[in-house]
Amino acid sequence: MPVPGVPILEGLYPSTLDLYPFEAKEFNRIHQFYENLRQKRFTTTKCKKCGNVPFPPRVVCPQCNSEDLEWVDLPTQGKVLRFTEEVAGVPLGFESPLIHALIDLGVGRKLISRVINCKEGQLKEGDTVKLAVYDVPPMIIEKRGGVMEEAPRVFFAFEPVK
Amino acid sequence: MPERNVCIIGGGMSLWGVREASIIDMAQEAAKDCFDDVPALKKEDVDGLLFASSYCGRSAFQVNIAPVIAERIGIKPTSMCTRVDTLCAGGSSGIILAAGLIKAGLADVMMVAGGEKLYTPQRWETYYSEMASIDHDWDGAQGMGLPPPFFSMTAQEHMKHYGTTKEQLAAVAVKNRRNGSTNPKGQFQKEVTLEEVMAARPIVPPLGLFDCTPITDGCAAVLLTCEEKAKELSDRPLVYIRGTAQATLHSMSMNWPGEHLADWVHLRTAAKKAYERARVGPDDIDVAQTHDCFTISEIIEMEDLGFCRKGEGGPFVESGQGDFGGKVPVNTDGGLLACGHPFGGTGIRQAREILNQLQGRAIRQVEGAEIGLTHNLSGLNVEHTILIYGREP
Repeated sequence: MPVPGVPILEGLYPSTLDLYPFEAKEFNRIHQFYENLRQKRFTTTKCKKCGNVPFPPRVVCPQCNSEDLEWVDLPTQGKVLRFTEEVAGVPLGFESPLIHALIDLGVGRKLISRVINCKEGQLKEGDTVKLAVYDVPPMIIEKRGGVMEEAPRVFFAFEPVK
Repeated sequence: MPERNVCIIGGGMSLWGVREASIIDMAQEAAKDCFDDVPALKKEDVDGLLFASSYCGRSAFQVNIAPVIAERIGIKPTSMCTRVDTLCAGGSSGIILAAGLIKAGLADVMMVAGGEKLYTPQRWETYYSEMASIDHDWDGAQGMGLPPPFFSMTAQEHMKHYGTTKEQLAAVAVKNRRNGSTNPKGQFQKEVTLEEVMAARPIVPPLGLFDCTPITDGCAAVLLTCEEKAKELSDRPLVYIRGTAQATLHSMSMNWPGEHLADWVHLRTAAKKAYERARVGPDDIDVAQTHDCFTISEIIEMEDLGFCRKGEGGPFVESGQGDFGGKVPVNTDGGLLACGHPFGGTGIRQAREILNQLQGRAIRQVEGAEIGLTHNLSGLNVEHTILIYGREP
């Protein structure tokens, strides 16, 4: 179906409107993070030289500039410190209620993540949530000769532990 | 060449709100208003333009917009012409950069303009683009846009740690809407009562409709020059840029630098540096325009700018200490809550209001104001930007 107003986009992938990261290895040197996600692992890079473990993963250590890095696992469970349930103004691509939580992973790390598989009014402060990996639409990469190739993708959120 | 003192000599704004106009139209309106403010200035005097806009490339098919704006407003910059993007702080970034160029002798008269066209022909695209304006691959892809959920959690933290109440949040909205009710350029020119704010529909609890800045189209412009040129071009009292700072300590939410979300260590870091550079302290500030993107923001800013102690921002605003007649009148033109918030334009609007205050010609004048401060936060609360202006260099 042609895109209204921009009919020339029929069948084309407007990558600048893509909600998810360009995860494919052709476009991303931390491609391994997403491969690990597929294995239900939440990972980042650790510097073999100075021991720094930043998040998000890097290709160069932000502390000592070493490129000698290895993949390490972060906790996949955490405790909900604060949360919000957004009902109005939910952006395209997300369903209402859009739930976000400030999650304490222990090990001195907190992050804000979406909480899925959770009904409005279900979540409480102090609840335990765990990593949830889900499929998102593939990126479409134009190869030699104009061949369009699909690169499958996953992304992460957290979900209540039943 | 020795370092030169830098003055702000004029300011202007387009009408802000839901506009039937493009960003290029509104930039012309703002620039005209600004040129009209400095009648002795000839357009050929302007040798630099910085244009602050984050969404020009997302709300329309145009990046590198500075040459477009320069041509349309009728200037031919020969020292500098570029776009600046720091989202909500872009205008303030532009003023800091322009001041540095003028101080160093790399430019003489600079216009710093900026703003956004945020109402696209389809509403979904405005909200959707918001997910591009924070750390996209990690926070944006989680459906975090410009940040009601984030500031809801910030308000919850402040309530939990310091006992702040919804009435205290509402007091900020009532004050800023009152201040904005006489500003002919603002998006909302109507007062609201405490009862109306408390009863408003929730956006993301505890934040309701009047706790949040709206989505806004608009542009603003100011003119900066060196002290000598300022004396030639204007008969009004001189207003100097005394000290500035911009602190960025993290980007992704996991790397938040404070103890909790209501602990804004990056704001305190920027404030300390700006006060030192300006050789003043928080008690010296006569009038301030701070980034009231949400009511809770102004409360925390009062604390971390040093106007009151940590945790006392709620009682500070509720007792009128941030209003006319209080310790320091804040957001005297209505702030973001009343004027609206076309990101790149906001720091410039704030600068214009401080200019008018220090020259004694503001619509709601703080009597005898000599030192003024502007503050922005930007993105998912990842940067804090402060400028301090004074009647003395």
